[in-house]
Amino acid sequence: MMKWYEVPESAETNVIYSKVRLVRNWSEYPFPGKMTKEQSLEMTARILSSMQGLNELDQNNYSFSYLHQMTDLEKAVLMERKVLNQGILKKKDAGGLVLSEDESTGVTINGDDHIRIQVLEKGLSLADCFQRANQIDDHIGEHVDYAYDEKYGYLTAFPTNMGTGLRASVIVHLPMLSRRKNFNSLVADMGRFGMTIRGVYGEGSENYGSLYRVSNQKTLGQTEKDIIDLVSKAATELSLQERRLRREALKHHAVACADEAYKSYGVLKYARRLSKKEAMEYLSQLMSGISSGILDVTDPCSIHELILGAQTANLLSHADRPLNKEEVDEARADYLRAHLPEIR
Amino acid sequence: MLCEQCKKREATVKYVEVANGVKTEHNLCGVCASQLDIGPFSAVFEGEISLASLLSGLLGIQDTEKKDGRFAEVLCPTCGMTYESFIDTSRFGCADCYSVFGPLLGENIRHLHGSERHMGKRPGHVIREEAAKAQTREQETDDEYLPNLTKEEQIRLLQARIKDAVRREDYEEAAVLRDEIRGLKEENV
Repeated sequence: MMKWYEVPESAETNVIYSKVRLVRNWSEYPFPGKMTKEQSLEMTARILSSMQGLNELDQNNYSFSYLHQMTDLEKAVLMERKVLNQGILKKKDAGGLVLSEDESTGVTINGDDHIRIQVLEKGLSLADCFQRANQIDDHIGEHVDYAYDEKYGYLTAFPTNMGTGLRASVIVHLPMLSRRKNFNSLVADMGRFGMTIRGVYGEGSENYGSLYRVSNQKTLGQTEKDIIDLVSKAATELSLQERRLRREALKHHAVACADEAYKSYGVLKYARRLSKKEAMEYLSQLMSGISSGILDVTDPCSIHELILGAQTANLLSHADRPLNKEEVDEARADYLRAHLPEIR
Repeated sequence: MLCEQCKKREATVKYVEVANGVKTEHNLCGVCASQLDIGPFSAVFEGEISLASLLSGLLGIQDTEKKDGRFAEVLCPTCGMTYESFIDTSRFGCADCYSVFGPLLGENIRHLHGSERHMGKRPGHVIREEAAKAQTREQETDDEYLPNLTKEEQIRLLQARIKDAVRREDYEEAAVLRDEIRGLKEENV
């Protein structure tokens, strides 16, 4: 089955993917920070077994596993692919993971909160992601009485998630916009509208690959639909601005743009060692080159899949022995050479 | 602006020092700032800026009050979370912590979210319980005392129930009651 990130990027938008996350807690147990080891194990097992009916709900073919039985590398690979979040990586207590075969839909159990539902989809599709997450939420809600208060909404471990427990994020590719001087003030303006924008692979000018995550800051006092609409609108606007800048650049500096795209392609095609920073920057150029039509690929392809594949833990997981830093860079170059799309 | 020490990274920390009435300003990046010896604040720059320590500043009541121990005795009876450790970690220990610490936070929740009241989805079990309660109430009101009352008395009772519904901010019920009153008044005409 095709993974969600293997879907090719659309030429119409700079939005790479959308993500919706809901957090919930079971009123029967204290929050994860205050649970005993036994409670953790018992609750994880109970939620996992209550979710067995999920396979009849939709055709996503879910797998059920215990996080505490996984190796650190397995967890790191899942984190790179956005299935797990940082918080759950270091946890030693029992935890669970329900994951659809295409990896688009995941439920983590006993992370920062008892239940964390996440849906990922290529392109701008927050409303669809929410609808799917909501369906799973309802399904779990039939077996589990959620911790809920009429005033504070869904009760969560962190006060920053209380209310809807909803975080709607959109990942946008902004190579031109982020290079501009006024980008920082744009970031600050987003805050005034209740949104945050952060680099996906690093902060500020060190965000290699120019991927940015736009998400809602507030979770209390707004309906789910308000939040989804707000973030979708911001993402659409950012994507439009970026494309406007790119059109200008193509008009006035056509050769420079083509040179950048072809050089990046050339390096990715022939390099024998690539650091993560180099790979991310060339892949970002490649993405721009393809979406602006400079590079004509023979088959539609997903550059985001290459970005995920070139991450360190994924490369380590495919090696038959532990690798040192230089060997990882070699493995990265090998991987990208083998998976780079053909151009005409 | 670039960091004045390494001149490589973007300056994200503005550090103002006032010593003997002389004010000096430094613009540093997170990495250089973490090497600065500025007492308890250094911790803020270690690794990633910790959300928890930022939040405790937001949520907590001034340090002096914390020392006064006005709330230090407050403890969640269900999970044993103390006020102090709640402020330090910015994490609730269990659902009951909300009713214990919620009132102490007051305005801070509004500062954080711009609102103090949930507007979104309600869980299935809450809606089911409410529907069951409403049904029993309907049976009580319909079958028991309302029919034996005069129309004026019925209207008066319904009006009291509207007031109650508005107080609970249950505007849907208030609307239903309003229509009932309207119906009764029209019957009179």
